[in-house]
Amino acid sequence: MIWGAWLCLASPLAAALLITLGGNALSRRGAGYLATFATFVAFIGAAISFFSLLSHDAGDRSHLSTGWTWIAGGSYHSGFSVLVDPLSTMMMLIVSGVGGLIIGYSIGYMDGDPEERRYFAYMALFVFSMLLLVQGGNLILLLAGWGMVGLSSYLLIGFWQERHSAIAAAKKAFVMNAVGDATMALAFFILIQKTGSLDFGDVFARQGFLGGWAINLIALGLLGGAVAKSAQLPLHTWLPDAMEGPTPVSALIHAATMVTAGVYLIVRTHPIFEQAPKIEDLAAGLGAATLVMAGLIALVQTDIKRVIAYSTMSQIGYMFLGAGLGAYANGMFHLMTHAFFKALLFMAAGIVIHALAGEQDMRNMGGLRELMPFTRWCFLIGSLALVGIFPFAGFFSKDSILAAAMDRGWYGYLLWVAGLAGTFLTGLYTFRMYFVVFGGQRSAFVREHFHHEGHGEGPFSMTSTVATLAGLAAIGGWIQWSPFWHPVTSWLEPVARPLVEPANWMEWTSSGTALALGLGGIWVAWLLYGARRPRPVPRVAPVESALVHKLYFDEAYDLAFYRPAMRLSLLLGRFFERPLIAGTGRELAEGSVDVGRGFSRLQTGLVRTYVLAIASSLAVIAVVFVAVR
Amino acid sequence: MLTTVLIFMPVAVALIVWLLPLSRLAAGGVALLASLAEVGLWIEALVRFDFDSSGLQFHQRQSWFSDLNVSYHVGLFPFSLWLVGLTAVVMAAAVAYAVWVGRERPRAYFGLMLFLTGAIAGVFTAQDLLLFYAFFEAMLIPLYVLVGVWGGAGRLGATVKFVIYTMAGSLLMLAAIIVYGLQQGTFDLLEIGPSSSDWVFLGFVVAFAIKAPLFPFHGWLPDAYRESSPEVSAVLSGVVSKAAAYGFIRIAIAKFPGPTSDLRGAILALAAIGLVYGSLLAFRAPDVRGVVAYSSLAQMGLITLGVFAVNDLGLDGAVLQMVNHGLISAALFLLAGMVERRTSTGEFALLGGMARGRPALATVLMTTGIIALAVPLSSAFAGEFLILAGVFQQGWGWAVVGAVAIVLAAMYILRMISGILHQDVGPAVPEAALDLRPGELAIVVPLVGVLLALSAWPAAISQRSFPNDQPQQAVRSQFRAVSYVVRETQVTLNVSRGTP
Repeated sequence: MIWGAWLCLASPLAAALLITLGGNALSRRGAGYLATFATFVAFIGAAISFFSLLSHDAGDRSHLSTGWTWIAGGSYHSGFSVLVDPLSTMMMLIVSGVGGLIIGYSIGYMDGDPEERRYFAYMALFVFSMLLLVQGGNLILLLAGWGMVGLSSYLLIGFWQERHSAIAAAKKAFVMNAVGDATMALAFFILIQKTGSLDFGDVFARQGFLGGWAINLIALGLLGGAVAKSAQLPLHTWLPDAMEGPTPVSALIHAATMVTAGVYLIVRTHPIFEQAPKIEDLAAGLGAATLVMAGLIALVQTDIKRVIAYSTMSQIGYMFLGAGLGAYANGMFHLMTHAFFKALLFMAAGIVIHALAGEQDMRNMGGLRELMPFTRWCFLIGSLALVGIFPFAGFFSKDSILAAAMDRGWYGYLLWVAGLAGTFLTGLYTFRMYFVVFGGQRSAFVREHFHHEGHGEGPFSMTSTVATLAGLAAIGGWIQWSPFWHPVTSWLEPVARPLVEPANWMEWTSSGTALALGLGGIWVAWLLYGARRPRPVPRVAPVESALVHKLYFDEAYDLAFYRPAMRLSLLLGRFFERPLIAGTGRELAEGSVDVGRGFSRLQTGLVRTYVLAIASSLAVIAVVFVAVR
Repeated sequence: MLTTVLIFMPVAVALIVWLLPLSRLAAGGVALLASLAEVGLWIEALVRFDFDSSGLQFHQRQSWFSDLNVSYHVGLFPFSLWLVGLTAVVMAAAVAYAVWVGRERPRAYFGLMLFLTGAIAGVFTAQDLLLFYAFFEAMLIPLYVLVGVWGGAGRLGATVKFVIYTMAGSLLMLAAIIVYGLQQGTFDLLEIGPSSSDWVFLGFVVAFAIKAPLFPFHGWLPDAYRESSPEVSAVLSGVVSKAAAYGFIRIAIAKFPGPTSDLRGAILALAAIGLVYGSLLAFRAPDVRGVVAYSSLAQMGLITLGVFAVNDLGLDGAVLQMVNHGLISAALFLLAGMVERRTSTGEFALLGGMARGRPALATVLMTTGIIALAVPLSSAFAGEFLILAGVFQQGWGWAVVGAVAIVLAAMYILRMISGILHQDVGPAVPEAALDLRPGELAIVVPLVGVLLALSAWPAAISQRSFPNDQPQQAVRSQFRAVSYVVRETQVTLNVSRGTP
């Protein structure tokens, strides 16, 4: 039922337009309900698509529906089309499902904000953009959705538009994503030149015609887009700053959906990546490097949302690792479980922030255990799922990625070690956060600022979302347990056949080691932060200061790109534009006046001068005529 | 006949406005009605236009100087149809804005605006070189007056520069036209044969490069765009600059295939430099109009890249982007004017925080801005994508420069949006939050609406700019757009490169 997919795409867009055009005619609450309702309609559309695919044979699960010719030039053209296949329906379900939950949560969270309508219009626009990204039936529509999610992310990060930091963070996110858009566009130019088309079918079918350098460049361009959107090295610096946006935004865009789009891109275009194995290895390597780096930086962050943000980067690193190794289904599976437990962590953190009058600094928190029991248990479930403790969701999805790494030679083992190191770090930073926020004594700040909303730990819209996500984070991973049952892998098999098939002993070894290391991380965190008499935290000053400065990436980019561009533009303005170009007009004007004055001297008013001039001219002309004849 | 009406209806109404002793209200009303009627006439042409036919449509020919084979010859090609439509829509918005603001000496002012409308329509439809020149000049003269009389404080300097630059360009073009026409024995664009003279080609190219403007011929641009009244800036950058790009397509490339391929590298280089240079200067411009002005320089560089890619992708994209940029920059200049009316300044140092309490202004400005920075899914994205995909085939370096410029565009547009709307409330922003009035919305929202409609269906223009005769022939379709214009002269690219 292809109309389900169109319904899924159209309904959030309609909500965004209605809220924008409705203005004051729509109450603030009404805008929230409308956006939530539209997103659930989208979820129903996605579910219709899913079940109709389910009724088809595995070989007949790819349906393309083209509305009209969207872009055309010369012999190249692409339609505005939606693709319904196992991969896109999986993403549609995640995006609209989690999106609907989080927008519903926002009704409570944003209650009372004077610009609620704008918020919900942006959120609906985001859901539309993300659905366009995953449903787009060709690469150009994928890029269109890609850019539009960047735009909605910009709008939402900068939602509190009087804050300088929010606007700066929004601009930074947009520009870094524009870099990724640009490299993707360049890859598409090569594709157009080589294949004349951007349809998935044409491009993937003709891959054999592409020369070695071309396919590598194409894959590299796509990878550029993927790392920018997914905040992987080296284009990762925007994500922590993006936490300036409202917390539900961080949950929806900067954890559950948009930032995982890079993984979707790699899986979607895997036929291209498979032709360029070096770039694939690069993707996996970047993922591994990011997951370790982000885990290290998360250890020293003090802002609760930034810790979760770095853990997001780290978890997406795992997905990149899996997708780069060819374990597509495992990467996508981790994407799904991550959406559950990361959204849960953000939502629970949002309740904490709400209860503490907007405070986000963990050093001011502590002892919230008894004050917010519900939130505490939900946060704990999210944390355990994040670390990958049996039987929570992360256990099933993360460990199968690690197992896949073991099936890829020495490079795979290298990545495997990095992934395991990441597990330990995950346990450490996650439970550092948990113990600092919920454990210990109530801090002075908590005693002063803590307030209940009057009805439990938050309005129903917020607690119900958190409870649902907690349930999903607890049991959502059970749908696939690699050695025993694997419906996700077989569901995605028609779209992306995995390149690696780890043996059972690899699964067991990875799971066992990862579980042990995760528990080890938790134990260390308990010793340092949770125990009744915590040990002093070991500090290495230079390392700590490097981590606090996020390994100096911001400073380096500032020095390497921003300042030279500013300097160049200033120099061009001062030493080129003003004197040479903008000045020329005046010089021209003065010059022509001078010339005119010069000629005016000839007008002596004396007849003899004129006669002389006429006569000599005639003489010259006569000579010329005679000579030419 | 329809084409002639499109040209002379506004001119006739201009005469009426000049001659009859109309009141301020009546003059404005008549002008607004006439410019809306022009839009209606264009829609009539659009509906009746046959996009499958490859010939000139709605054409009319009357001999003028028969001994020189000069004639009054007008007609519409598909790509000129879109540009005439752009003219009608932008001029209507500009006239409406002028009515809204209430310009001094209304009869003179609105007469000039209508005369300008007719002249621009003439430029896009003339099929005779001398007629083209006549319309080109007829377009410039009202502009001199509009900038010089109704402009801001520095209008005289701006006008002098503008006059000197464009006069120099016009003279070059006149010389080139005379030499070319006398060589070929006709001035008719459909009959005139291709030429291989680099000098004549350069005469045309420099004239158009000044009008566009292309780097480094843009000396007149910053002052003219800053000092004119907003609606005149909107017309200058939105419509008049497109006459130059049109000239590149209709004359420079179509009639000079040899020189085009010889000198293409140099022109592409200038266009690419202008693209980056304009973007960098837009990033440091201290005021709203400065950003829009320098972004116009950048955009004209981009359009020129597409045109001189000389392939279907580039040309189709260039026509689409001409329409996009015309609408975007007109909307931005008008919005800048509306902001300036509220704060009496355009300097970012004095602006900021205007989003609060002005949701309509914020929404419209934000929408226009994000289309201007070519966010994917917008029509500007479609245009830029096609242009860069086209020029990529001439050399990957051009497309890389273009991609860098797109990132720069994101930076300067976001800076402009934030500078007006976000962060602290600027010292010049009045306490009383005055949102866009319904009248102002009625002026800009149609422009933005057209842009949004085009975003949903950019192929409406890019697929219908050059008729597609034989899509199956792969080689021919590679040069479909070019061969189409060239075929008007019964000569193909390859043959003409060999002719002396």
